[in-house]
Amino acid sequence: MTFLRRQLPVLVTFVTGILFAAQYYVPHPLSEQMLTSVSKWLQIIGGFALVLGVTSLFHIHAVKIRRKEPGWGYSFVLYAGMVGTIVIGLWHGGKETTDGVTTAFGWIYSFMMVPLQGTMFAILAFFIASAAYRSFRARSREAAVLLIAAVIVMLGRVPLGEHLIPVSGDITQWILNVLNASVRRAILIGISLGAVALSLKIIFGVERAYLGGGKE
Amino acid sequence: MSLAERMLSIDRRIIFLMIGLCTLIPLLYPVGLAIKVSPEVKSVYDYIESLPAGSVFLLSLDFDPASKPELYPQAVALMRHAFKKNLRVIGMTLWLPGTGMANEVVSRIAREEGKVAGKDYVFLGWSPGGGSVIINMGQDLYKAFPTDYNNQPTRDLAVLNGVQSLRDVNYVVSLAAGTTGIETWYVFGKDKYKFELGGGCTGVIAPGLYPLLRSGQINGLIGGLRGAAEYEVLIGKKGKAVAGMDAQSATHFAIILLVILCNVFYFSIRTSGKTAGQH
Repeated sequence: MTFLRRQLPVLVTFVTGILFAAQYYVPHPLSEQMLTSVSKWLQIIGGFALVLGVTSLFHIHAVKIRRKEPGWGYSFVLYAGMVGTIVIGLWHGGKETTDGVTTAFGWIYSFMMVPLQGTMFAILAFFIASAAYRSFRARSREAAVLLIAAVIVMLGRVPLGEHLIPVSGDITQWILNVLNASVRRAILIGISLGAVALSLKIIFGVERAYLGGGKE
Repeated sequence: MSLAERMLSIDRRIIFLMIGLCTLIPLLYPVGLAIKVSPEVKSVYDYIESLPAGSVFLLSLDFDPASKPELYPQAVALMRHAFKKNLRVIGMTLWLPGTGMANEVVSRIAREEGKVAGKDYVFLGWSPGGGSVIINMGQDLYKAFPTDYNNQPTRDLAVLNGVQSLRDVNYVVSLAAGTTGIETWYVFGKDKYKFELGGGCTGVIAPGLYPLLRSGQINGLIGGLRGAAEYEVLIGKKGKAVAGMDAQSATHFAIILLVILCNVFYFSIRTSGKTAGQH
């Protein structure tokens, strides 16, 4: 059992890791054919991940409803919404319109999901303004630099700012293109080197956390 | 409690009201200030402008309805431009919740521009896998999407004549609200299959994409509602983005005013505290 649970996954990871790292540099038709097949597998696995996610969500909220945990009413609303949408969606074959006519599934999407998600995101503007008023203070030199940069970028990204202070647009472009881009690039390089190191550790079996912590 | 302390602990509903009014009033009474076009938006426009009629343009609408106010106007402007240039348009999404919206915008703009489904454009829909969908399209478009969103076999579509994989696509633009999005298209797509890539994104994630822009990994970037407004100005068809810029101007100024006030009150409290300490 140890072989199946520990050694085989590490072996599979090692072989596929080396194979596909090398595949990138080998344009031979066989190599390309292998990539085509595997990318299709990945898509299928991606589909199953979706099923797994939905099943898990159903399970978690079913437990909450059964045990009548605090907030179980919300879980019930989620259940009703999900089951209702899935049933109606399947009924209409997942189509929002049929022959130009909006289906019930399309109605749920256009008049419930779209405005609800839009509202959630729009509320952010109000909370950002409130949070900025309460916490965006020049408590230190670093905070003052951040504050000044933020004010300049906010001015330079809107027509009124550029109208009142014409140079604000150019300064904003410079902040984004030079200061921001260089710092972001440094962070990206750091993250990428970390990702490469972690990938090598996984391929060579040094990092085995993905195998889970089950008993040997 | 001093005035400054009272002002710092002001009821947040007053701030909400202020932001609400700053959004609403300019929408009702627009001023229409001039919008300056940035080089990164102009690059996307210029590239599409340089493509000959019949070139293949792929627009990946990688966002959900939460980002609709910023990215939908970008999609509308890009689609109008592509159809005006008589490009063959392929629409798709890597975000499942955005599928219906993406289909709606592609078909609506196509209808308005007098384009025919299957001949001038196709909407492929969504397929699971994110990055692996891009690899699969790069290897064989018809294996990744055997049928389009309306269940028509993609091999039979005139719009895809001569298109076997992403290598045959002239220009890809990903309108992204996060990952999966522009970076995914670069890492799994452009790097291997050598097509030109542009991006559009929400204002929040735009600063994070500037390294890709500066290194030429993407040839242009449409950032947020402002970017959409700039594109609308470029194509000469002002829409919702331009209309929203006055509201964005007002709210930005309201937030700047709030930040200044907050700091004035903060320093006033700090100064009075120091003075009291000296006594």
